[in-house]
Amino acid sequence: MQLTIQATGENVEVISYLLAKNPNNIYERSQNGHFIRMFYNKFSDEIMEVTFFVTPDPIELSRNRAKNYDITSYINDREFVVSSIFCSLLRSALGTALNGKPKESYASWVEHPFLFEFSFGPLATDLLDHEIIDIFQPLGYEVKISYGETDYQVKLKERSSARYISLKGSTTLQNGLRQLFVLIPVLDNYKHYYIDEKETEKVERYGEGWLHTHPLRDFILRRALRFKELYSELEENNNNLFKEQQKELRLNELRYKKIIDYISRSRMKETIVDFGSGEGNLALQLGLINGVREILAVEPSESAMLKALKRFDAIKQSDNFIVPTPIIGSLFYYDERLKSKDIMILCEVIEHIDEFRLPKVMQTILSEYQPKLLIITTPNKEYNQVYEMDEAYRHPDHRFEWTRQEFFEWCYSQKTSNYEVAFDGIGDEHVKYGFPTQMCLFIRKEGQ
Amino acid sequence: MNVFLPFSGIVLLIGPSNSGKTTFLKKMIDSGQIQPSEVVSSDYFRILVSDVEFLDWNHRPKDEADRIFEEYQQISAEAFSLMDTLIEKRCKLNKLTFIDATHLYTDDRKRYIALARNHHVPIVSIVFDLDLSVLLERDEMREKPRGKRRVKQQYQVFKRERSLIKKEGYLATYFIQNLQDIRLIRRNKNPLELDASNGIDVIGDIHGCYNELIQLLNKLGYERNAEDLYIHPEGRKFLSLGDIMSRGPESLKTMQFFLRHVNEGHAYMIDSNHGWKIARWLDGRNVTLNHGDELVQEEFVQYERHYGEEQTIKLKHAIKQLLFEAPSHYILAKNSVPTVVCTHAGIKDEFVGKQSYEVSDYCRFGDSEGLDNNGKPVRKDWTVHHHTSALILWGHDPRPKPIINNNTINIDQGVVFGGELTAYRYPEKEFVSVKAVMDYSKGDNNPLKEWEQKRLDPPNIAKFLNGYTVSTEHLGEVHIPKEHVIPSIDTVSHFTVPIEELIYIPPTMSPTPKPSILDNYLEHPKEAIAYYRDKGIQRMVAEKKHMGSRGILLLFKDKSAGQKYIGHETLGVIYTRTGRRFFDIGLEKEILLRINEGLLSYNYFTKFDTDYVLLDAEIMPWNLKAKELIRNQYVHVSENAILDRSIITNKLQEAVKINVELKQWLSEYDAKLENALEFKEIFQKYCWNIEGINQIQIAPFHVLAHRDKTFFDKPHTWHMEMNREFAKMVDVFVETEYMVIDDLESEEEVIKWWESMTADGHEGIVIKPEFFIAKSNGKLIQPAIKVRGRRYLHIIYGMDYLLPKNLERLKKRNVDKKQKLALKEFSLGIEGIKRFVHGESIERIHECVLGTLALESDPVDPRL
Repeated sequence: MQLTIQATGENVEVISYLLAKNPNNIYERSQNGHFIRMFYNKFSDEIMEVTFFVTPDPIELSRNRAKNYDITSYINDREFVVSSIFCSLLRSALGTALNGKPKESYASWVEHPFLFEFSFGPLATDLLDHEIIDIFQPLGYEVKISYGETDYQVKLKERSSARYISLKGSTTLQNGLRQLFVLIPVLDNYKHYYIDEKETEKVERYGEGWLHTHPLRDFILRRALRFKELYSELEENNNNLFKEQQKELRLNELRYKKIIDYISRSRMKETIVDFGSGEGNLALQLGLINGVREILAVEPSESAMLKALKRFDAIKQSDNFIVPTPIIGSLFYYDERLKSKDIMILCEVIEHIDEFRLPKVMQTILSEYQPKLLIITTPNKEYNQVYEMDEAYRHPDHRFEWTRQEFFEWCYSQKTSNYEVAFDGIGDEHVKYGFPTQMCLFIRKEGQ
Repeated sequence: MNVFLPFSGIVLLIGPSNSGKTTFLKKMIDSGQIQPSEVVSSDYFRILVSDVEFLDWNHRPKDEADRIFEEYQQISAEAFSLMDTLIEKRCKLNKLTFIDATHLYTDDRKRYIALARNHHVPIVSIVFDLDLSVLLERDEMREKPRGKRRVKQQYQVFKRERSLIKKEGYLATYFIQNLQDIRLIRRNKNPLELDASNGIDVIGDIHGCYNELIQLLNKLGYERNAEDLYIHPEGRKFLSLGDIMSRGPESLKTMQFFLRHVNEGHAYMIDSNHGWKIARWLDGRNVTLNHGDELVQEEFVQYERHYGEEQTIKLKHAIKQLLFEAPSHYILAKNSVPTVVCTHAGIKDEFVGKQSYEVSDYCRFGDSEGLDNNGKPVRKDWTVHHHTSALILWGHDPRPKPIINNNTINIDQGVVFGGELTAYRYPEKEFVSVKAVMDYSKGDNNPLKEWEQKRLDPPNIAKFLNGYTVSTEHLGEVHIPKEHVIPSIDTVSHFTVPIEELIYIPPTMSPTPKPSILDNYLEHPKEAIAYYRDKGIQRMVAEKKHMGSRGILLLFKDKSAGQKYIGHETLGVIYTRTGRRFFDIGLEKEILLRINEGLLSYNYFTKFDTDYVLLDAEIMPWNLKAKELIRNQYVHVSENAILDRSIITNKLQEAVKINVELKQWLSEYDAKLENALEFKEIFQKYCWNIEGINQIQIAPFHVLAHRDKTFFDKPHTWHMEMNREFAKMVDVFVETEYMVIDDLESEEEVIKWWESMTADGHEGIVIKPEFFIAKSNGKLIQPAIKVRGRRYLHIIYGMDYLLPKNLERLKKRNVDKKQKLALKEFSLGIEGIKRFVHGESIERIHECVLGTLALESDPVDPRL
């Protein structure tokens, strides 16, 4: 991790005073075993060049501080790339310059712009070159990006993920450095370690005079203070994906609505099992149906279950809300608590299971659990035409998607003599392709 | 008069004061027939609790007499309470106890009868039946006479009660008039205990399958002698776990066979549910003959037709006696230590060595609760309550293969249902079995078929959710904590191959237990070899460690074998060490087909008489499975390191011209750049371009199982030879180089080999004890230790790990937790495979697999 500052033109030698670094000496400080180092390459009336770099202690980083930096391996780019770690290690070496507080006699040079070239790297970022340029160009820099080597004997990748950035432009030393201290963590694509309130203040202070008017201000702020909304960027970045999700969201609601309609009209609805209940969206709505006494929300993922619990907690106090009982489990295990319930729901579940495993799952449900009503929903593959999708499934984890005929035949093949089946559809019906979601009800015959 | 005493239990002496009870016992103790500790006397306990034996209230004014009497009663109550506790403990421990007190009143006696019954030991009574005149005469001679009135009063009570005693329910009652006349006949050994020093072959339920029985005895080495008896040349005897009759074709012949062999002392047979029923039928009691018992009746009818009534009555009588006399269970003793319990349907630990109605009932039927919808008894799993170290052999409930569970083994393999007749050779601990000629039951309720149908039923999640314990053969109980079970259930529900295909997860492997003593090495073979030598292992196998990804291959002979063992038509499955499918389904199919063709052309499945083979392998290249990891971690880090270090080096080279002080940094960065370039070279060693199946290599270094056996008893040299054979059969299979270490010279050779291969960039070697399962002082030791090369370790510990200041710190690592995990996972793995081979339910196999997955979710330094 390194930063080289080059300045050309008149009076560049005063920069050494602004940095408070003697051009005749090398500089070295150690912090937790990491060496922060500096040396001058060139120093004359016309040109001065100084390089700051850090030689980190890899074991300190990945063993002792591993938790702070979320490092799980000795093989980690944190040891090399410019990141918030680099900035914080460099802060005291560049303190005078960043704060604009040189010796009294040089104070007037703080506001003096020089022709600078800041070179830093390596940089590991998910941003594309033009996105990097979009960040620095508005600040008056000419941006040059170079890449590492990818000369492998084996086809491993096309382009290096190590980049080195050079910014050329006229600015004050203080401003240039402050911009870098805000923007390096923005560029770096690592999950940030926790940033506290102080860090927010620092962004505000270093951003003074340039960040406010920057066209990508919101983007920079969000990435700089990533802890607030860690995973939310994706949606907005990718417009297409966003649309897909909206569509899916609406269809989801329609599915729930249909299921709830059926259950509300059902005579037997005291006890309900929601398989693959995830974060509890459907289970929560089931809890509001009149006449329901127990909802078992079955889900194998503990983290999803904890989210569901939070959700249930939030509306626990509502009138007539039956709090669903979360149960760790899945269709691949037998759980006697699920026996003889009134209704069992597999809402968008079966298509996540390899087709050859389904008969066994169905046998467990129909012969062991024996619900009075089983509701299954799954995508209608034919409808993908309406979405103008090619061969792909609607979700990367889908193991199959069925046409109406396929679903129809499958349901009949699984049905035991104790059950009757009925079909329905969910969503906007298309004349040719039917409904986006298809649904089947397995109804246990009376007295069976 | 002969007085026969049981091996254990209570001998209740009954008789008024002065009848000679104490004198009798003293005589017996003096002559060594009774041990002093076997006698419990109320007089003695009175002294123990109160220092006085007797209080005399005769000739006292009423108020004083009342008070003394009261005190005496209080002393007696305490004395008896303490005494009863002692007797109870002795009964629990299956000891014989003589109770010396008058026991004149029914209630006193009933208390001991109940106590004996509660502890399943017999009680006998010896009644001292003397004339009043003798009693009075003796009282006068006493140091502290009880007084005429008291003696007379006691005698009156005795006279009244005497006639009741016989009917109170003792095993035997002896009335004694003359003390000189008594001869005690004692058993000094538990009749249930058999000496197994010559070897005993325990045989499961025969059910009239006479042909299979004879076949089995032949296989076990028994020889038919001139008297038509099957005798073993080494003096071994055979023991039947009962149910020798009913359901099958030749019940009578089988019973006659046992009648002769048991009576002549060549065999043993224990009681059982069918045996008990037939015995009661033969005794003329009102029983319903069903579940195949009716066939026995038919055979007797045939017999009578042939041999006449008289002979039939005689035979019936003899068989009845054989069956009634069959004990509830036997205990086999090795060097006089009782180590094995043989029972028909089950036993409780506290019943072992004891005989009572309740014990017999339990041993015959096991722990059953009511009937199911089809009128069959619902059997509860009694084995979970077994906690002692005794091995329990049982039958009754047929299983396709001997099932070892919680130190119990079921050896009823349902020969009558078309299964097998099993013998367990003790003390060799080997199974010998013969296949049934046919399914004789012809019924719909074939328990073997039912077992098979249920085998692949989804596991009951309730067994796992709160954490659980797996009892393993080699490490005892392995506990799987709840907090690790839950994430593993998620893994199994979302990511792994189906539960019924997931039968083994390989264990983690420890690196050398100590870092190398050499300055510039982190790991070195010396420390691994020293570990094994220290554990008493002199012969080891060093195998080249392939650098790829671990893969488990379950390969079937054909698709129908897949149907049979894992429930769907497939040639097999290949999965990773976390249970995920190794290849995408299309490529997997292609590889499975290629392997199948190779194995078939070699006649592998015929040659080894198996339907499947389970292999533990390394699959290469590394980038096949780890492509993303390599790209996002190794390649990425390498590029950044080289870029960072080369720019700094360039700048320093330039600047050193004007500042000589920079020389030191320059040489530091020259070295660092070298390290980065070395790193880049190393990880590429394990990668190559894959265009299709032809670039894939699989090294199957362990053959884990075939249809009916595991190979954990084989040395690793055998596994390596098999690996070599596999490489000949299938082109995607590759050999694994190996060497044997058995002396200092071969150790040096291996070290040289390791040095040269790792200098070339190979990962390193794995050192294993000669045998798959190795123990030191009875304790399991590491099944394998990896010794990774100096160059390879760059990709684990970082490109600068060899810098002295780094290496010094890296050497401070602790492999204890890793080693413990390795042992747990190793024994879980073996256990699961054994269960699979034994045809056990997928739930019992999943218990082991889920356990390893759970243990692996416990965070241990992943770099070890």
